[in-house]
Amino acid sequence: MSGYDLNRRDFLKMMGWSAAGVTLAGCDLPTTVTLEEGKETVVSYLSPEEYVIPGVGVWYASTCMQCSAYCGIHGRVREGRALKLEGNPDSPINRGKLCQMGQSGVQGHYNPDRLTQPLARQDGKLVPITWDDAWKMLADKTSNLSGDRFAWVTGTVSGHQAVLLAAHMESLGATQHFVPEVIAPSVAQAVLADMFGEAMPRLALDKAKLIVSFGADFLGTWVSPTHFATQYAQFRAAPRGILVQIEPKMTLTGGNADLWVAIRPGTEGALALGLANLLLQDGVQADLPEGLRNTIAGYDLNKVAGATGIPAERITRIAALLKQHAPSLVLAGAPVEGQAHGYEATAAVLLLNVILGNVGQTIVSNGEFPFPQLRAKTGKRRDLLAFADAAKNKNLDAVFFHGANPVYHAPAYLQLSEHLQNIPFKVAFAQFPDETTLACDLVLPVASYIEDWGTHVAAYQPEQGVISVQQPLMEKLYPGTPGLGDALLTLLKAREPQKYEAWPDYYSYLRNAVAALPAEYKGDAASDEEFWNHTLQKGLIKVDVPAKPLNVKLPEITLPEIPAPDAATLQLTPAAQLGLWDGRHANLPWIQEAPDQISKVVWDAWAELHPSTAAKLGVKTGDLLEVASEQGAIKVKVFVFKGVHPDAIAVSLGQGHEEYGRYAKGVGANPLKILNPVTDAKTGELALYGTRVKVSGLGEHDKLVLEGRGQSAQFGRKLVATVPAEQFRNTEGA
Amino acid sequence: MSSSLQNLLNNWSQYRKGIEEGGHHKYEHRWAMVVDLNLCIGCNACSTACYAENNLPVVGKERYDRGHMMHWMRIERYWDESPDKEFHEQGASFLPMMCQQCGAAPCEPVCPVVATYHTPDGLNAQVYNRCIGSRYCSNNCPYKVRYFNFWSYYDAAWPEPLNMQLNPDLAVRDKGVMEKCTFCVQRIRVAKDQAKMENRKVKDGEFTTACAQACPTNAIVFGDQLDAESKVAQLWNKHQVQRVVTKQDKQNPDLRGYRILEELNVDPSVMYLERVRENVA
Amino acid sequence: MKSMWKGVRSRRGWLLGGGFVVFALMGLTVWAAATGEAPQSKPIVPPQGSYEGVAVEQPIEFPHDVHTKVNKINCLYCHTYGRRSKVAGIPPTSKCMGCHRVIATDKPRIKQLTEYWEKKQPVPWKKVHDVPDFVHFTHEKHLKRFIFDNEENVQNLSVDTVAPVCAYCHGDLREMTVAQKVKPMTMGWCVACHQANDGPGDCWKCHK
Repeated sequence: MSGYDLNRRDFLKMMGWSAAGVTLAGCDLPTTVTLEEGKETVVSYLSPEEYVIPGVGVWYASTCMQCSAYCGIHGRVREGRALKLEGNPDSPINRGKLCQMGQSGVQGHYNPDRLTQPLARQDGKLVPITWDDAWKMLADKTSNLSGDRFAWVTGTVSGHQAVLLAAHMESLGATQHFVPEVIAPSVAQAVLADMFGEAMPRLALDKAKLIVSFGADFLGTWVSPTHFATQYAQFRAAPRGILVQIEPKMTLTGGNADLWVAIRPGTEGALALGLANLLLQDGVQADLPEGLRNTIAGYDLNKVAGATGIPAERITRIAALLKQHAPSLVLAGAPVEGQAHGYEATAAVLLLNVILGNVGQTIVSNGEFPFPQLRAKTGKRRDLLAFADAAKNKNLDAVFFHGANPVYHAPAYLQLSEHLQNIPFKVAFAQFPDETTLACDLVLPVASYIEDWGTHVAAYQPEQGVISVQQPLMEKLYPGTPGLGDALLTLLKAREPQKYEAWPDYYSYLRNAVAALPAEYKGDAASDEEFWNHTLQKGLIKVDVPAKPLNVKLPEITLPEIPAPDAATLQLTPAAQLGLWDGRHANLPWIQEAPDQISKVVWDAWAELHPSTAAKLGVKTGDLLEVASEQGAIKVKVFVFKGVHPDAIAVSLGQGHEEYGRYAKGVGANPLKILNPVTDAKTGELALYGTRVKVSGLGEHDKLVLEGRGQSAQFGRKLVATVPAEQFRNTEGA
Repeated sequence: MSSSLQNLLNNWSQYRKGIEEGGHHKYEHRWAMVVDLNLCIGCNACSTACYAENNLPVVGKERYDRGHMMHWMRIERYWDESPDKEFHEQGASFLPMMCQQCGAAPCEPVCPVVATYHTPDGLNAQVYNRCIGSRYCSNNCPYKVRYFNFWSYYDAAWPEPLNMQLNPDLAVRDKGVMEKCTFCVQRIRVAKDQAKMENRKVKDGEFTTACAQACPTNAIVFGDQLDAESKVAQLWNKHQVQRVVTKQDKQNPDLRGYRILEELNVDPSVMYLERVRENVA
Repeated sequence: MKSMWKGVRSRRGWLLGGGFVVFALMGLTVWAAATGEAPQSKPIVPPQGSYEGVAVEQPIEFPHDVHTKVNKINCLYCHTYGRRSKVAGIPPTSKCMGCHRVIATDKPRIKQLTEYWEKKQPVPWKKVHDVPDFVHFTHEKHLKRFIFDNEENVQNLSVDTVAPVCAYCHGDLREMTVAQKVKPMTMGWCVACHQANDGPGDCWKCHK
């Protein structure tokens, strides 16, 4: 411990950490008298802050970076170690709550597979080099770089990292910044932008009396799950809103629905137009353009019932519910947007909100965020394609990666691994040896988010606008590892020294930026120092965003005719889950060991089949399947249950890593690899749900490990009892 | 020993008093919980928060398969539709299941070494350094919420530097020891110590368990049932759920509160509120 | 302990073997004393027994006697965390330097200390008193019970008030240079003191 660099933030000094939980408990100790006396070193603080007391945890506010919802966190620090993360009650995003991915943040930080020193490719192999050599190599190789032959490939970035990243691109004259995020709601954002003038308007789930969600897994993987879960709690309080979930594969949100409706994948748009037709026929007044009205009129009930596989009476029932309960909220999620006609299908679903008068009620403007330069650059699936194209066409001389793993996410047909060879200088600013990092020529290990400074602006802003502020909870585990901000500042200093010399590090840059905020943000703070301290204490800066009305502009919707089901193939549904997310959390043991919420599978990937499909294929839970598209095949184990449409096979997303450390490597399979080259016609986004696959049993049984050994019946015991909502309303208030 | 024997004999009638008579305990606190299944979305946040707070080891796939997993807080998932339905139309039934901190815990009397016993806080304690690993307690637990360390997980579960995350407020259990949910006793102790240092009582909401803290929908409420002002006590009263009894006799039987397997006369300290579904099909 | 029996008898009757009773009674010795608050008027009974600990070699041979016996510095002046935390803590180097920037700067041990300070390295003290990790002793509450609850003038505690209380478990540091373990610090020893002074008997008070 004394080997740690004891510098700037002296309150993080360690004391006696080795006494804290490292020696084992009870049974192997022959005596209650300690074994450690005279052996164990107790390292004292050098010069601690007044409030630091050994043995007493101190909580610091920061920001969770496990997904791009940017929830506020409180981290408990004792003896210099970050121990536990909890939600920050002051954050309007997560209101003191934190999902399992957020809870697991400490396991990314303390992960045994973290990169600790720079690596450079020599004779085809990545070998350790010093930090000085690494920075020098970076400077040398990029000094004569032509901006149009350079690209950044990152995860979602926002705040002052985004500002510095833009500055770095500008300093190079570069324009290419790819943000490949496969489960981002990018098509929905495009539709929303066209339809309402805002890519991410605010949703008031708590105000809706009825939510009809077409596959939007807002409790799990959609946009800002923890925020929506807190809203869901209000939605479900008496008198209790109704949730109808319509999707080909049951998501976590579907598991909580009052009515879960299995729909034939790819027919969501038709159902939405069919519902619109029923509503209009039923006298719902809506101001629609003539063309759209005619389109809707073409979707009569029988046609829609036939196409979607949902009985006509059920469709009428949903239409009746929509008519009865106002305001309602109709959402479109991944299965709707992930099709060849994803834009139109999403538009058709969101159109229902216009017809039902939900706009301005449950879908409201998010206003204009006053600091556009801090806004999130959100992920897009088409960036994955665009980057692969750039690599294929030899358009790039250098690429910098941070927080993105395109090699893992890219479907096999893109041949990204091979085409990456066309880029002579690939640099990874990475925390882990993932697939992309190991394909690079220079690897610079970066700090974890628990060790770094930052500001973040979530694309989805709650009612109270907010800049989430991130501060280190502890000293860096691996000295020298920069955060993204520090890395960018170093890169910028190499190009424009005089412009950035005022800031020795990103911390001082950020402090300066916060001090430069207009006076109305600083409230009663007497000085910049005081405001800075207040900001760190709160972990956020509140930003009032003036509301404005949404301007509804209805697009023309043309959906293709739906082909008759093809009995020989099934629709591949790559299913993201709260936990593994897009695969980025597969290296966290808590996430691997946490059972999938619906299937209860641990430590594996699995393919969900409806019992009727499984019977046809002659397979049962645990059997090994081959799932083959035109682009390749994967082997995956079956999980049979009644939460998936018979025309679909839902393969879990997030496993099948070829690298990425001991917990992720070699576990399960990755369905993204076999995607066909299908894109949404309008936006060019990769269609995740657009591939049909041949599925066959391999005649082998392999074990699928299930929590509770797959037992899912209560055998008449009152374990989980269910009561009708009517009774709930009577007893607990209307 | 002699003084305690005398104590036992002197107070024999007290010891003989059963749970049906209200027991003999003078509780300082009675920590209890409410889990609202209308709000639980089965998201696992509570379970992972428990791993983080309580030094629970990750056992890996093979050992998980053998039933060696150590999740003190697990989410059970049931499908309740009749078998003739084509789909799970009413979604899943999620049930967070953890030690119910029974008032008359079946695990306690079977422990040959008194490693599990009842505290004056109404908790069902497990003393790791006392445990000899007979596993009788686990066999006798109707909820199956006791977890046995079949292995020494220290090196496998926390390779360096993952071990730096371990919570120093409680032990890391070694091979041969039984463990289970403690209602985050380390947090209870901190709050009680703090209150005592300030010569006051523990205030409701001053602290909560890791699971209740994490729950995004506030489905879990934790508190002291003896504190009439506490949210927990008020919820138990509101739902007319009595302790100690084996069958609830509610004035309004439509109220949702119930205790799982209370008919076994174990007096669980966790009240569940029934899941709610709109009949829209 | 009492609770152990509650509900058991009425449901099962006496089904338990003799061995169980013996073990259970051992538990009872712990429990019997564990009722309610300790009456503050009762005289304190210091724990008995001694132990011969190994001499621990420290990086700097710290003279407790010079500080406490000669210079009359209150133990809690340096081990200040004890009032506020479960651990009394090793004082931060800044605390040492608070005095030793000016006092006795020519002495070899102070030179050693100054060297650590200037290199910004903490002194690697060796642990003298340790309990296993499943034991959660808290200094805070013991100091409250044995010092602060009994003293009128807690602002001006003298070393001669504090040191004898610390000596219950650590021996009289006024007579030691480098600390050495002189008390057994076994569970039986702890429990004996808890019984004599009406301390809590709940296992979970210390074990978790």
